[in-house]
Amino acid sequence: MNFIINLTAREIRSSWRRLLFFFLCIALGVGSVVALRSLIQNVTKAVGTDARALMTADIEVSSTNDFSPADIEKIEDVITASGIVEARNEAITTSSMARPIDPTNENLRLVELKGIEPPFPLVGSFELDNGEPFDHRLLEGNGALVAKILLEDLKVKVGDRIKIGEGEFEIRGSFDEEPGGTGGFRLGARVFVEKRAFDDAGITRNASRVRHRILYRTSENPTPLVTRLRESLKGTTVTVQSYRETQERLGEQFSRTENYLALTGLLILVLGGVGVWNVSRAFVEQKRKSVAVLKCLGAGGNRIIAVYLLQILTLGLIGSLFGVVLAQAGLWFVRSQFAADLPDRMSYAVGSSTAAQGIVLGVLISMLFSALPLLQVRNIKPKLLLRDENNESLRRLDKTKWLFGALSLLGLLVLAAWQAGSLTVGAFFLIGLGATSAVLYVSAVILTRILRSMRPMGNFALKQAINSLYRPGNQTRIILLAVGLGAFVVLAVQSLQTNLVREFDFTRNQRLPTLFFIDVQKSQIDQLAALIEKRIGEKPETTPTVRARIAFVNGKPLDFQQREVRQMQGQIGREFAVTYRQALDQNETVVAGRWWPAGEPSEIPEVSVQDEMAERLKVVPGDSITFDISGRKVTVRVANIRKLDLRNTRTAFIFVFRPGVLEKAPQSYAATVLSRVGATERQRLQREVIGEYPNVQIFDVADIVATVQRLVNNFVLAISFVGSFVILSGILILIGSIALTKSQRVYENAILKTLGAKRGTLSAILVAEYGILGLLAGFIGAGFAAVLSFAVSRYILNIDWEFDPVLSLAGIAATAAVVLVVGVISSFDVLFRKPLGTLRSQ
Amino acid sequence: MIHLRNVTKTVRSGTEDLTILSDVSLEIPDGQFVALTGASGSGKSTLLGLLAGLDSPSSGTIAIDDDEITTMSEDGLAAIRSEKIGFVFQSFHLIPSLTAFENVLIPMEIRGAKDAKERASRLLEDVDLTNRGHHYPTELSGGEQQRVAIARAFANRPKILLADEPTGNLDSKNGQHIFELMTDLHRQNDVTLVLVTHDQALAANAQRQIVLKDGRVVSDTING
Repeated sequence: MNFIINLTAREIRSSWRRLLFFFLCIALGVGSVVALRSLIQNVTKAVGTDARALMTADIEVSSTNDFSPADIEKIEDVITASGIVEARNEAITTSSMARPIDPTNENLRLVELKGIEPPFPLVGSFELDNGEPFDHRLLEGNGALVAKILLEDLKVKVGDRIKIGEGEFEIRGSFDEEPGGTGGFRLGARVFVEKRAFDDAGITRNASRVRHRILYRTSENPTPLVTRLRESLKGTTVTVQSYRETQERLGEQFSRTENYLALTGLLILVLGGVGVWNVSRAFVEQKRKSVAVLKCLGAGGNRIIAVYLLQILTLGLIGSLFGVVLAQAGLWFVRSQFAADLPDRMSYAVGSSTAAQGIVLGVLISMLFSALPLLQVRNIKPKLLLRDENNESLRRLDKTKWLFGALSLLGLLVLAAWQAGSLTVGAFFLIGLGATSAVLYVSAVILTRILRSMRPMGNFALKQAINSLYRPGNQTRIILLAVGLGAFVVLAVQSLQTNLVREFDFTRNQRLPTLFFIDVQKSQIDQLAALIEKRIGEKPETTPTVRARIAFVNGKPLDFQQREVRQMQGQIGREFAVTYRQALDQNETVVAGRWWPAGEPSEIPEVSVQDEMAERLKVVPGDSITFDISGRKVTVRVANIRKLDLRNTRTAFIFVFRPGVLEKAPQSYAATVLSRVGATERQRLQREVIGEYPNVQIFDVADIVATVQRLVNNFVLAISFVGSFVILSGILILIGSIALTKSQRVYENAILKTLGAKRGTLSAILVAEYGILGLLAGFIGAGFAAVLSFAVSRYILNIDWEFDPVLSLAGIAATAAVVLVVGVISSFDVLFRKPLGTLRSQ
Repeated sequence: MIHLRNVTKTVRSGTEDLTILSDVSLEIPDGQFVALTGASGSGKSTLLGLLAGLDSPSSGTIAIDDDEITTMSEDGLAAIRSEKIGFVFQSFHLIPSLTAFENVLIPMEIRGAKDAKERASRLLEDVDLTNRGHHYPTELSGGEQQRVAIARAFANRPKILLADEPTGNLDSKNGQHIFELMTDLHRQNDVTLVLVTHDQALAANAQRQIVLKDGRVVSDTING
């Protein structure tokens, strides 16, 4: 044992420079895993886990209709019987248009209005911008508290008056963070008013997207009470949830995100592992004579393997520790650059368990990827000290190597499953990575073969450069694989971004409206249409809409007690805007059943269901759905399933009814215009419409597109950031590979110099070699990025895909430039070596 | 005692088999100083390698004392070398990542010897390198490197010292010095010394001289 420890210490002392790349590969990989996991954990801690504060209560009972007296009675019966409710309040939310009273101020904005009553909040705290705690008296007498951003958008200040719907409110304060306001995507800024003022201002009278809530704080675990409430309210459109379920759902979402991000980190670590494998392989080759001497002096193969394994584990451990330091530095970097986009109270520290996990991962990856190369030590014969034969036997795969190879793969699978939190996802990750690597590797082999056949062409430097790519022990294919993979990730994400942004570019979609007007009353629609036509010269398309919720599917109520159904609550439990019409729209196709024929009277009410919703509800033509429309139950037969082409859409309805059912139901109208008018003109039109019809809500598509584009850009920035780590791993492998073949390059250069080659010629060879290598890597990366981006766009995102030649060419050029610069810098000193010393030492 | 019975070594050279040693049988008693000579390619180094268990014969047997080494595993051979055999190479073969002192220390550490450091210092003193112990092989001259190699070969007090042209890479002065060092150590420690050399003058100092030609023993004489 002493021998193993002593020799390990001495070897590390003398070989650490040679193993520096090993160390860096592991550090970068561990750094990525730890930084990504810590980041998402810290975000989770800051926003996600306190679901109770998000809900501002323990139990939420909500409905898009006003609670009926029967519903209230059922709720109150169960609540009273439970005896655990400490406090209660009601809230109501909707969106509405807000504008300053000051006629000279032409700004207006859609806001998310919330009417509250004391005590508020039931759970958590609410602090205003001026540092004062929230006091309900601020809202009395038509007071309003607004999100700070709205002050900027409307160019108003505290003390000014604004009009929301038909009511006037005085801004009494502003806030940055509201209780329960951190989650979810929101179109408008939040405004708080008194619940009573809601009805007084007539806001809910004709508005859609209204939600009524009753909130409860309980003294004990609310789960049994929620179960009883659900049981009692079965068959109604009232939904009940506890903060524990929200917490569970959020927890699952965050842990899924965390695990996927951890897998991205693992990808970088596996690339680091490839670097480790490469370095270990070359290290063993370099140590052949030392191993032979040790064997000659009486050391057994296993003891020598133990020495090198211990050495690698030690370096893996130190590299992993350094990785944790890198992760901390990365988090500080994130704070310096992106703090504004992240939650205020978020911590930027690496968690100790995450760090420990990263260290274990780093050491295990070091071991798994160096096991096979180290096994070659067994095949080194001491007789090579007498006669140095070629080392073909080292590369031969024997039973033990197969066994260890299989064990290494199994180990990787365990690590991937561990990081993904699922064996299936881990296995898919590994298979995906293996398939991608295999495809990239085969491409590298094909490209280098093609290149080889071009060897006789070109000038001396070019011929030599191509020859250099085939020198014994060359790392060409590994470099192409690693750098190509990095370029692939980054370019695929960029290409997806280009296509996503293009998708939201409404100048390309001639049917995407510029303005949506909703909640227009039947009595208002003709005048509104006339007003719009007068202002912009286009007659808007008007569509009747009815608000409906699903009550039963095939006679059975949606059972939110069931976890699977509960998880889809947002999609199927919400209120839908439905319409009725005779004809199929031009962006729709029937995929099952048949569209109702024109002119034939309907014997039974029918509905057409969008394909994704049909899948969620598990309905096929012939099934029945019962809708709750303003408290009335309407049962309809599913006539057909419809596919919607969102790329060519003006309006998109999930449910379309056959005429003859909804005409008499309470309904409003939606109006859309397509004219591309300027921002000022749009603003004026909106202002005029709101002045005339305060109940109408207007969506300016340009604002929505800008919001979505910002989200897409942030998403792309985040993935590109991770992708750049993949590139960095590739570059490390590149540098490591250059270092490994350096002695051969030095020897070749010495011979070429002796034969009369000038430094300029040698420089040209160097530039040509890395230029070609970079071009090939870029070509592979860009090619597969285009394929991936096409597949994701067409089959996952369902958006149009266009090849972007500029992006691909820029990607190839950038990859070539990076490889060229790194390669030339790493090898530059070779040009200045004197040939005699080199030739003597050989 | 070293016993060789009908030892033949054949290697593959391209598409043909090449016989390097052919039916060699020898006995070398304990403590004897044997010089193995012959032209280049006569099989001297191969024979020495077989004696050290660095390679195995194609046929025939080799025994050291009563241990038949031809059938031993790699690790078994390593143990025999650790215990009984010291080896000196023409090109020294020191471990470049270790200092001179550590190179001498290694065989004793492999064997788990207790007084390894003291003995390594003493051995370096014996080869006159007390002040060079902390130097790496690249910082030593060829003669100094070979003296380190000799000190290393004697580290575990082997019964047999095998030397493959130990002076071949050295100038005549250094070569003479190394030769004297080895023969002195051979006498003082009473080890069997098998020396492969081209140098007839050095071979003449041996107690016995075996001449190889084309893989066969053509002469085996006791020097007067």
